[in-house]
Amino acid sequence: MTASTKTRTGSPPMAIWKALLLSLPMFLITALLPLQALESGELSYIVAILVMWLGFNVAFILMLTTGQTYRYRSVLFILLAVALPLWFIPMMIETHGSMMLSEEAFVSAEANFCPLATFMVIVPALVKRIVIFPSALAGGLGFATAAFMWAGSTLALGRGWCSWGCLFGGWDELFSRLRKRAVIKNIDRRWIYLPFGLLLAIVLLSAVTLSPIYCEWLCPFKIVTEFQAPTSLLAIIQIITFVVLFFALVVVLPLLTRRRIQCGLFCPFGALQSLLNKINIFEVRIDPEKCNQCKRCIRECPTFSLNEGSLESGNPLITCTKCARCIDICTKNAISFHIKGTSLQASPAVARVLYLYPGFVLLFFISSANVGAALHRIVKLITTGSMI
Amino acid sequence: MMKILKAICGYTLAVLGVPLVLIGIMGPSYGLGELFISATGLTLSPWFDGGEVVQTIDHGTYQTHVHRMVFDALIGERKEGFVQVDWVPLDALPARVDEEIEADGDGQADFRVEVDTANKESTLTPYASWVLELEGTYKPEGSLMVRVRLRNPSR
Repeated sequence: MTASTKTRTGSPPMAIWKALLLSLPMFLITALLPLQALESGELSYIVAILVMWLGFNVAFILMLTTGQTYRYRSVLFILLAVALPLWFIPMMIETHGSMMLSEEAFVSAEANFCPLATFMVIVPALVKRIVIFPSALAGGLGFATAAFMWAGSTLALGRGWCSWGCLFGGWDELFSRLRKRAVIKNIDRRWIYLPFGLLLAIVLLSAVTLSPIYCEWLCPFKIVTEFQAPTSLLAIIQIITFVVLFFALVVVLPLLTRRRIQCGLFCPFGALQSLLNKINIFEVRIDPEKCNQCKRCIRECPTFSLNEGSLESGNPLITCTKCARCIDICTKNAISFHIKGTSLQASPAVARVLYLYPGFVLLFFISSANVGAALHRIVKLITTGSMI
Repeated sequence: MMKILKAICGYTLAVLGVPLVLIGIMGPSYGLGELFISATGLTLSPWFDGGEVVQTIDHGTYQTHVHRMVFDALIGERKEGFVQVDWVPLDALPARVDEEIEADGDGQADFRVEVDTANKESTLTPYASWVLELEGTYKPEGSLMVRVRLRNPSR
């Protein structure tokens, strides 16, 4: 190999005609959104949705033609996370006067249900048939909307949710990609058990107190969405905690380690997804015979989901978010998507396409409410001088 | 044979991924959310919505809704809780609401609450030893609301 020749990594590329053909179902399914937007009659919204629809579908075709999943998924995933506050905060200002929720909003259950809160409501819902979150039960951004989205995507993708559907994981991913080299390289792998400990502790505490403890005390993403107005010392301490957690876990540590620290070492919802991943049909497999033990995948995995044992057993750890980073960087094509129950020699290309379909549909429709709405706000800002 | 069956199941479930995601995302827009809530009988925690209204007092132009006392715990009851009183509609309320409230169902008034409807300034006069203090006065859309902190009289 000459110095100028780059080793091709990732899944095998696909001929353009084949990629277009395989993209057709995605084109048609996602076209539901621009068709729905046309009914609104609002030009800025229609333009925003059309731009988004085209952009996302081009990214999907590129995933197929280049064989690179992580690169394009990551761009869309980051876009989703960054877009959320761009429309959510102006919406909060329109409806509540600021991104801070007053006590009135809490006692009249006007908060928006966050999918990440799902794990805290399960025990009280089963034991007492109550939802311990101050939001509407159904409709809009209510409990049932989030619960359905979570259930459908968990069945379809398992912990793949954390790389395709999470509204916030893109922040972590963004900051973990900004630096070329990690400053902190040696992180004790035992930290990957922290999210499971947090999951257990928060589920129990939320059940005992009948309040969403994670949302009240530990969610780093409160500062990019909504939080309680600082009307008491307790509320001020909560807000300071949110700010510290966001900058520490989502900005600084991902920057220094090039890893998704919040997602890999903190998020209790991610831990729940890891446990539920067993019911999902897609997995990442490593072919020990093809693997040359370069261990690049171990060093680069954003969520610490690979170790030496994984290379020998052929299975990543249960914390794997199926982000495809390892698949894209493997020079030996030793890592691929796989469908449980099928032969290990079965076509990885078929498994990849079948995995990309639900992943892309989830990312597109979740983004439709976020990227589309954010683009709409930006168009509004350009045309009227205000996002409100 | 088993291998083939497992493979068929695997591919079938993999193909079902897209419909599952679509149902998850679009289902609530087509009434599945409401259906789910009514089928499971889920309600909002009384710690957020104040619990069921157990007494309505008609004052002619406006009404007083007294909610049940909330001491709910995951199992059993807590030592402390609250009772919520709402006055509706907000725009029909007098400048000052002054009312004796009976919360525990024994026919005796348990506290008196006075609220300035304009600035939410409130005063609580407990008649029963288990009525502790005013937790807060709020003005959610279209109503005036107070929550009074209570010690559980049955504990």
